[in-house]
Amino acid sequence: MATMSLRPCGDYRATYRTDTTIFPTPMSRNFCIAGVVLLCVAPLFLSNYYLNLLIQIGYLGIAALGLNILVGFTGQISLGHSAFFGFGAFASAYISNQGIPVFFAIPLAGLATTAVGMIFGIPSARIKGLYLAIATLASQFILEDFFNRAEWFSGGSAGALAESFSIFGFVFDSDERFFYVVLVYLVIMYIAAANLMRSRDGRALVAVRDHYLSAEIMGINLTKYRILSFGISSFYAGVGGALFAHYLGFVSVEGFSILLSIQFLAMVIIGGLGSIMGSLMGTAFMVLLPEVMEGLVAGLSNFEWASGLGAGLAFLKQMAIGLAIILFLIFEPDGLAHRWRLIKAYWKLYPFSY
Amino acid sequence: MSRTARLLLAATALVAFSGPSFADDKIPVGNLVDFTGRTAVVGKEYGQAKVDAAAYINRQGGVNGKKIDLFTVDYSYEVPRAIAAYKKWKSQNDVVAVQGWGTGDTEAMIQFVAKDEIPYFSASYSAHLTDPKGMGPETKKPAPYNFFYGPSYSDGVRALIQWAAEDWKSKGGSGAPKYVHMGDNHPYPNAPKKAGEEYAKEIGMEVVPSIQYSLAPGDFKAQCLSLKESGANYAFLANTSGSNISLLKSCDTVGVDVQFMANIWGYDENVMKAAGTSADGVVWVMGAAKWGDDVPGMDLVKEVSKMSDPNLKKYRAVHYLRGVCSMYFMKEAMEWADDNGGITGPNIKKAMYQRGDWVPEGLEGVCLPATWSDADHRGVMDVFVYRGMAKGGEGDIPDLIGSGAIGMENIFTAKIPRKPEWLGW
Repeated sequence: MATMSLRPCGDYRATYRTDTTIFPTPMSRNFCIAGVVLLCVAPLFLSNYYLNLLIQIGYLGIAALGLNILVGFTGQISLGHSAFFGFGAFASAYISNQGIPVFFAIPLAGLATTAVGMIFGIPSARIKGLYLAIATLASQFILEDFFNRAEWFSGGSAGALAESFSIFGFVFDSDERFFYVVLVYLVIMYIAAANLMRSRDGRALVAVRDHYLSAEIMGINLTKYRILSFGISSFYAGVGGALFAHYLGFVSVEGFSILLSIQFLAMVIIGGLGSIMGSLMGTAFMVLLPEVMEGLVAGLSNFEWASGLGAGLAFLKQMAIGLAIILFLIFEPDGLAHRWRLIKAYWKLYPFSY
Repeated sequence: MSRTARLLLAATALVAFSGPSFADDKIPVGNLVDFTGRTAVVGKEYGQAKVDAAAYINRQGGVNGKKIDLFTVDYSYEVPRAIAAYKKWKSQNDVVAVQGWGTGDTEAMIQFVAKDEIPYFSASYSAHLTDPKGMGPETKKPAPYNFFYGPSYSDGVRALIQWAAEDWKSKGGSGAPKYVHMGDNHPYPNAPKKAGEEYAKEIGMEVVPSIQYSLAPGDFKAQCLSLKESGANYAFLANTSGSNISLLKSCDTVGVDVQFMANIWGYDENVMKAAGTSADGVVWVMGAAKWGDDVPGMDLVKEVSKMSDPNLKKYRAVHYLRGVCSMYFMKEAMEWADDNGGITGPNIKKAMYQRGDWVPEGLEGVCLPATWSDADHRGVMDVFVYRGMAKGGEGDIPDLIGSGAIGMENIFTAKIPRKPEWLGW
């Protein structure tokens, strides 16, 4: 990691401590803080439509980061991430409907999802690659069926109501208000993940990914760290799902199909495997792409030659999204995080890049 | 058109649309449709009807001169998307009413619309939406702002079971006939499940365990074999027509000898055409006249249909007419509200209770007379049971009807009593 970022002259790192800071330079830290401050005042300027998109990026970004920890950092695979996302949503709705405030229900739902994720992560102790993918596919189906039938927990196929987030009677029921809840969670969860990756456990996860045999020889308990990775990943999914539940106010099993699992995978691949900020960029890409396409298609319908397409325009949008993703994978295989590094390098080295 | 003229036009349009005075003449209404989801086969008919009807109402001067501003969202029959659309309408468009669609989403939003005081006219006829005050013994939650035009699913299945009992007698069947509920595990097919099974037991039928088949069309031979083995005589199909086409065909292949009875959304001209002889003899619930009937209101329906089909070439399936009815009930309620304090949610709700045996003006003979009261939202209690006839053959629906290859007849009419213990389920 350290070799990848370009440090200004004279910034020598004399200790391990300075070599493993969360932000490589004071500048990047200041930029990050400025970004959060900017987001804090965003509700004053943005319409509900944009806030809604930002909130979506927020809760999906948290869940996508979880998947990135599992796939990008630990080298495992999961096709059941949306089921864990859903479990967090239902669990939080269930817990808050038992009379526990939503404030506590969200982290509790995260913990419950962690437990479930670790159970479904057990196969990773023995199998890898495509076989693990199929084993996690089972978790998707089992949990989806569970949501459909466990009326006491999820309300069955009819779904469950989820209360609004509130602190001391102040209810976060509008987009402007809930935006801050998501922002706080997003910042905490991303800093926690960045911190995890410079800890002993985080390095163990990366070692498991890079060469599991070497990792084992160095004394890393493979089973423990693989299952731990599933647990952490599920915690993130659960918290993201819980935020989603209390934002929408209602949880229904339909939202957590395998399609969403694939979308989560697309987010981390497009954002950049093994990159914390990449998870957020990939999520933003996947959330904004349909909206941008919607706008383009709507613009297209103003032209006379396109009016003959009629209802076909809606399908054109879907195809364009698919095409954009394919083009992206061809021309940007390392993800948005890599492109972002290149852009930064360009500015730093300008005009003498080589 | 020259470039300047175009610019000028754009500028005028901009001024026209941004002027606040313009907004006062509009009535924002949310419109939820399914054009691409699992219920799209019937959703397209009903959704198009709503869009056409609103366009026609606007062309005729709107509601006391105010135009209906319809915000149409295709939510692909996914509850979370419906709720997201509703929240957007509420926060950005200030809708005063919503024309909805499915049972899952409508039931999910019962408490939202009650809190926001937004009348919600659904295409879901779930009996769970009929109890505004929560007085029914089985009611889970009161639904004060939910309305729908048509017999509730539960009353529909009760009528079908009444017919089945008579049919069993007239055919000289011995012993108790067996009834089975078939449908997906989903709020819509589940809505009339309990009502049907309890009523079948009440009138002396034997109820066999229900069979699950998906709302999305597929190969249902396994389900048909289960049906065959269960020995059921009357099978209630609770899914929509797309899924039922697959089921009827699969069961024909397997050789099931059962009298199928379909829900109001479960059978129509498209099923007769697509499933051919497999769909012959199915009985189902109707909630309005059919396209081309010789009734006074048909002229208006044709004018509405012209909004999206100027040459009247299209045949509109039975669901289209109910969509027109739903929109016109809402329109007349808004007119009353406008005369009595303004078009607001609570006033529209009040307007719904003003008339008994209410038929929207110009739709006589098309829409069934409906009566809503502040304690009972079961608008229509007359249930018409029709039998479909399908002899197979190729061609468009009008040709098939013309040649007698497909057709339908009213074989039974049930007047379901307004029993208080049946309110809300």
